[in-house]
Amino acid sequence: MTRDDGERWFEEDPGPLVRPFAVTRGRAGAHLQDLDIITLVVAVRPAADAATLDREYGEILRMCQRRPLSVAEIAANLDLLVAAVKVLISDLIDSGHLIFRSPPPPADGRPDLKLLQAVLDGVRKL
Amino acid sequence: MAFANSDGPATGELAGLRAVKLLIAGGFGVGKTTMVGAVSEIAPLRTEERLSDIGASVDDLTGVEGKTTTTVALDFGRITINPQVVLYLFGTPGQDRFWFMWKELSVGALGAVVLADTRRLEDCFGSVDFFESRGIPFVVGVNCFDGADVYDEDEVRAALDIGDHVPVRLCDVRDRDSAKLVLVSLLEHAMRVALTTGGHAGA
Repeated sequence: MTRDDGERWFEEDPGPLVRPFAVTRGRAGAHLQDLDIITLVVAVRPAADAATLDREYGEILRMCQRRPLSVAEIAANLDLLVAAVKVLISDLIDSGHLIFRSPPPPADGRPDLKLLQAVLDGVRKL
Repeated sequence: MAFANSDGPATGELAGLRAVKLLIAGGFGVGKTTMVGAVSEIAPLRTEERLSDIGASVDDLTGVEGKTTTTVALDFGRITINPQVVLYLFGTPGQDRFWFMWKELSVGALGAVVLADTRRLEDCFGSVDFFESRGIPFVVGVNCFDGADVYDEDEVRAALDIGDHVPVRLCDVRDRDSAKLVLVSLLEHAMRVALTTGGHAGA
């Protein structure tokens, strides 16, 4: 391929299709942080910081300002794949914009009876 | 109990908060999303998981950029149980080819509802097997569609070959109270299982 060909390729309009992992620069899986679909995250940096971030990162930072959101909710709000959103969230955790709380690992063994009872009480009250 | 927590000035906001999940499994069109919507405090949201991703540890996608991406939709809702506990309900596709997804979803799940349509009971055989083999507490909710043959709970139990300890509940998942009773039944069952097994996950 000549240099000219290369330049022309880059100048082509990529079109409206954004491949699922374009926003993660091609990274998938092997999450730096161990995130579950119900891992909760909340912003620890102000929304104003969003201006300094790429668009998707900024959106996540803004939507997590007031209250913790799950990975699933963020993925649904952004209309991105869960796996892609996990990569973005991991980056924001690493950069100190978000903190997270994952459910305890199953290796913990015993189900938490108090937690089960609380959920049962809550559902009964619906 | 150990948690994976990160440090930060707002750690306190998350420190006392727990997210838990229940699964609603069943065949196509059996009413999973309807049930989520009946009890959720938010309109059901939809996320998509990529079929080839789940459970795989792929560092990058170099060389697969041109592959067609196949995704599977996952509808879910949320119930704020109390200021410390948030419950998420995930409607999970019941077809065999989506089982890979259940592995991740079912980790840490408090339990599952297997939704059944008596016109297509065989659609939930796979779900029943999955939850039985993994020791995840489950109940069978028989969604009584208009015009469907009405079987009683014992007939459904026999047809599905499940033990007497597994609750079977006739329900109408469009109805909030009916859907709620199925969830109550599941959580009561999960409590019994936890008490009788000594509480080991997978027991």
